[in-house]
Amino acid sequence: MSYNWHLYIIWDYRWVFVRGAMFTFELTLLSLAVGVIVGLPLGMARGAQHRLPRAIAMPIIEFFRSTPSLVQLFWIYYALPILIGVRLEAMVACTLGLGLHSAAYIAEIFRAGIASIDKGQSLAAKSIGMSYLTSMRRIILPQAVRRMIPPFINELANLIKLTTLASVLAVYELLHEANDLIAQTFRPFEIYTALAIAFLVIIFPLIYLSRKLELYWAKRS
Amino acid sequence: MSAPMISVRNLAKRFGDNQVLRGIDLDVQKGEIVGIIGPSGSGKSTMLRCLNFLEQYEGGEIQFDGATVGYRDGPNGKRIGDSEAKLRMLRAQIGMVFQNFNLFPHMTVLGNVIEGPVVVKGQPKAQATTEALALLERVGLADKANAYPSTLSGGQQQRVGIARSLAMKPKAMLFDEPTSSLDPELVGEVLDVMQSLAEAGMTMLIATHEMAFIQEIAHRVVFIDGGKVVEQGPPAQIFAQPTHPRTIDFLKRVRVYKA
Ligand SMILES: Nc1ncnc2c1ncn2[C@@H]1O[C@H](COP(=O)(O)OP(=O)(O)O)[C@@H](O)[C@H]1O
Ligand SMILES: [Mg+2]
Repeated sequence: MSYNWHLYIIWDYRWVFVRGAMFTFELTLLSLAVGVIVGLPLGMARGAQHRLPRAIAMPIIEFFRSTPSLVQLFWIYYALPILIGVRLEAMVACTLGLGLHSAAYIAEIFRAGIASIDKGQSLAAKSIGMSYLTSMRRIILPQAVRRMIPPFINELANLIKLTTLASVLAVYELLHEANDLIAQTFRPFEIYTALAIAFLVIIFPLIYLSRKLELYWAKRS
Repeated sequence: MSAPMISVRNLAKRFGDNQVLRGIDLDVQKGEIVGIIGPSGSGKSTMLRCLNFLEQYEGGEIQFDGATVGYRDGPNGKRIGDSEAKLRMLRAQIGMVFQNFNLFPHMTVLGNVIEGPVVVKGQPKAQATTEALALLERVGLADKANAYPSTLSGGQQQRVGIARSLAMKPKAMLFDEPTSSLDPELVGEVLDVMQSLAEAGMTMLIATHEMAFIQEIAHRVVFIDGGKVVEQGPPAQIFAQPTHPRTIDFLKRVRVYKA
């Protein structure tokens, strides 16, 4: 193979990458915020004793887990405005779409974490007169959070990768910047390679950390 | 005789199709120590959990210290569920000790003991700590106040469990097989603590397989089988001259009764 590498292109356009990475970062954080804020109550409802909250939470969670994130984004950007009569900005639609998508997974992480705590813990908390919310806050969650952190980090890694979907709605995250750059320079090989490596550099440490934490806590309990 | 501390009438409870309690009647006087014996699966734990409404029940009535537990009678014979606040107040007055201790593993021994007084009763932390240390002294664990439960032996953990319940200053204590998951050599230290509670006049309901201990400590023994009280009486009578064939059979199997 005699491909002529033009690696200097990456260096020449480094600020484009940095700008894209900032946007990716921003979109990730905003979506994560939506994911946590919606996901926590959704997960609590999903694991509730009463039937009603469960019946409400389950279809929401299953809907977002069983349909492609890209379709959800298109739906929120193109279909939702027809329904509510307000056009969403691309960034808002992406934050909402990716946020709700991750909320469904975060809800499951949250529910499973709570369910993994021995039933005796909430019995003991109840038996000294604690309310449900107090026992959650004082007894169950402090123990469950530990078990939630590794899968939560994995979900964060997924979310970072999913932000590339925002490029189709003209949000200037990494992939979109890269595509624009390719249109200018005709160097897809260098640019996509650099892009892949950029994601690898961000995501691999996260996955590594999650695995280490899992092992560490498994050993201690 | 004054009104009983705990009064159970015709208590019925099922899990799905499994009718676990089929009309339990039981009175426990203030200061009385009642041993609950019976084969496993006979409903001992379930009955104890109904008493502080950790389990709901379908039929009958429970009163604790003059107040209904879980339900009160409404118009046209329907039951009205007690409010969460009332249930919490009730539970704060009834101590419960579990077979598996159920200590809070993320808190120190001291943290476990002051959790109820501080968080549920709103006691100042300093006062709760002073009282908790006195309680730990009483169960022989003053030197373990800052240890985490996972570093303790089973016997020590169960003594912390007892101290955690006592910290709420309960009017009665429910023990659900408190020594059943302990190695034999650790049973004694837990029974000693229970003995000292008995001497202090605590009202106690004890579900256990420690027949010798029950024979010694209990004022009354209640034999439960198939979700019903089959026979009850003073330990001397139940262990020496049981009258019901099911009691005789059970005691033979646990080797207390040889005749
Ligand atoms: N949470 C529960 N759900 C369903 N069945 C239960 C539950 N708890 C207990 N049971 C059933 O109720 C019966 C009595 O159990 P239990 O009260 O634990 O008996 P004991 O304490 O005398 O061994 C058993 O058949 C048991 O399987
Ligand atoms: Mg039991």
